[in-house]
Amino acid sequence: MDLVSISLLLLIFLMILLVMGVWIGIALLATGFVGMQFVAGNIPAGSVLATSIWGNSASWELAALPLFIWMGEILFRTKLSEEMFRGLAPWLNRIPGRLMHVNVLACGLFGSVSGSSAATTATVAKIALPELLKRGYNEKMALGSLAGAGTLGILIPPSITMVVYAVAANVSIIQIFLAGFVPGAIVMVLYSGYIIIWHMIYKDQAPPPEPKMTFREKLHESKNLIPISLLIIFVFAALGLGWATATECAAWGVVASFVIAWWQGFLNRYAFWQSVMGTVKVTCMIMLILAGAGFMKQSMGYTGIPGALAAWVDGLGLNPYSLIAVLTIMYIILGTALDGISMIVLTTAVVLPMIERAGFDLVWFGIFMVLVVEMAEVSPPVGFNLFVLQTMSGRDSNFVALASLPFFFLLVVAVAIVTIFPGLVMWLPKLVFPG
Amino acid sequence: MIRRTLDALYLAGGILAGIFLVIILVLMMALSLGRPLGLNIPAGDEFAAWSMAAMSFLGLAYTFKSGDMIRVGLVIDKFEGRKKQMIEIVALLIGLGFIAYFSWYATSFTYYSWLLNDRATGVVPVPLWIPQLSYCGGLILLGIALLDELIHVLMGGLPRYEKPKPTTAEEVIEQALQSAV
Repeated sequence: MDLVSISLLLLIFLMILLVMGVWIGIALLATGFVGMQFVAGNIPAGSVLATSIWGNSASWELAALPLFIWMGEILFRTKLSEEMFRGLAPWLNRIPGRLMHVNVLACGLFGSVSGSSAATTATVAKIALPELLKRGYNEKMALGSLAGAGTLGILIPPSITMVVYAVAANVSIIQIFLAGFVPGAIVMVLYSGYIIIWHMIYKDQAPPPEPKMTFREKLHESKNLIPISLLIIFVFAALGLGWATATECAAWGVVASFVIAWWQGFLNRYAFWQSVMGTVKVTCMIMLILAGAGFMKQSMGYTGIPGALAAWVDGLGLNPYSLIAVLTIMYIILGTALDGISMIVLTTAVVLPMIERAGFDLVWFGIFMVLVVEMAEVSPPVGFNLFVLQTMSGRDSNFVALASLPFFFLLVVAVAIVTIFPGLVMWLPKLVFPG
Repeated sequence: MIRRTLDALYLAGGILAGIFLVIILVLMMALSLGRPLGLNIPAGDEFAAWSMAAMSFLGLAYTFKSGDMIRVGLVIDKFEGRKKQMIEIVALLIGLGFIAYFSWYATSFTYYSWLLNDRATGVVPVPLWIPQLSYCGGLILLGIALLDELIHVLMGGLPRYEKPKPTTAEEVIEQALQSAV
């Protein structure tokens, strides 16, 4: 069989397994196994499978994954959500859009300690949504900005999605983390800018400002944000100055989160074990997918499909911008059926050689992937952020999806910005890791 | 009796995985704090790596049983009753087949480590079959859990690895946290 028919066959096989409801990790393993059967020279698929997966899994760098998940699990159970609303609200009273900006800022802050966008959305919305509606803010705008800003959870490091990409693409976790800061800030500016413009047009949609506070009163309201801000600065500094590896950084983050939880009186034996077992479940789920993806990637490598595909795309003579445009559309479509992690591990094996050949940096492409995963989070029918807000607000899925649509397009704008100015993404990682 | 033993086994795997998570944290902190103090944990990063593998594999069955192993629900959620049951049986058969195959080779991989007396190349020459036990053990446990569910669904039971759709905001938040997306 030629490569084209083998690729089609494998693709169809994988799709059937996924549609049949086979667990994603197992479906990837199975596809990798079938791919191995087409390789000339009789490779012992079973032994390759056992050896490579053990080698991939026993890695201390990967240990950053459960630790970052754990950190989010602990902080999620603290009072952070209330404190963020109280602490941020007084400062935003004068800007058009007023407290609506709490959504963006609080999600950005929580994104700096959490690696999951669904958890970020849920944590911030828990308090912000009822508070905003109570004050009479526009519901559509509140839901849309929460759905959009919640995706910052995976763009601003630490990020589970980034760790998964880094492992799948074999690039440094720290470099991807560092690359996420500036794009994270860009997305926040886009969101807040949109909120400002919208409120300048629809002046009647925001309630009157809250009573004025003195600077001292504002500071008093924000004092509970000090521990979390210190934690964020600390983790960033450790990453940026190269004091610690990503794994050590994550360990420090866990310890600091325990201190915050203990300070607030949320740390007891039950909460501790609950956070541990929650972390175990998320980690094992991801690790099975990563194991499957690793094996499929290896099997694909043996068949030579990715290389041939890369050469074919190269031969088309597309300019880099069109390639990114085509990939963006492909990922938007994929995002309507798959979750972010599956999207990354399913496609990296074939897309990365193509991207490298077109002259893109794999760290830059990681940020691109995170942005398209963010779009998937806010696009129906399976966008998890939409689902979270749908249940929290009691609105139907169409209402929430329409409300989030402007923020979906702002993410498309963000992709365009980082594609035209790749230096925005690469500046920080290059600064810390010159050469 | 069998039911209770099996459930206890899955939970034990999950708890062991949790203990390895705590070990990773302690090791990484010790490595990080020890460096400036000039204290060094022999082969600390290797122990962390093995703990990571042990955690990932030992918790698989527990994760599967709690319904946190993700799959694409877009199509299967549309079916109900008899058709849904058939789909579940096929998915379980495929899952069981591949996990059985995988555990077989993971076990033989560990067996050869033991037979050839493979040792870690680091400072502490730990026989490699010891950390690798978690690898084959965890996969076999997942295989048992899949077989357990297959028999249950074949007998007409509803799959126990499917989480009920969340209805309250609290449940949504809880599931959001577990989704990792």
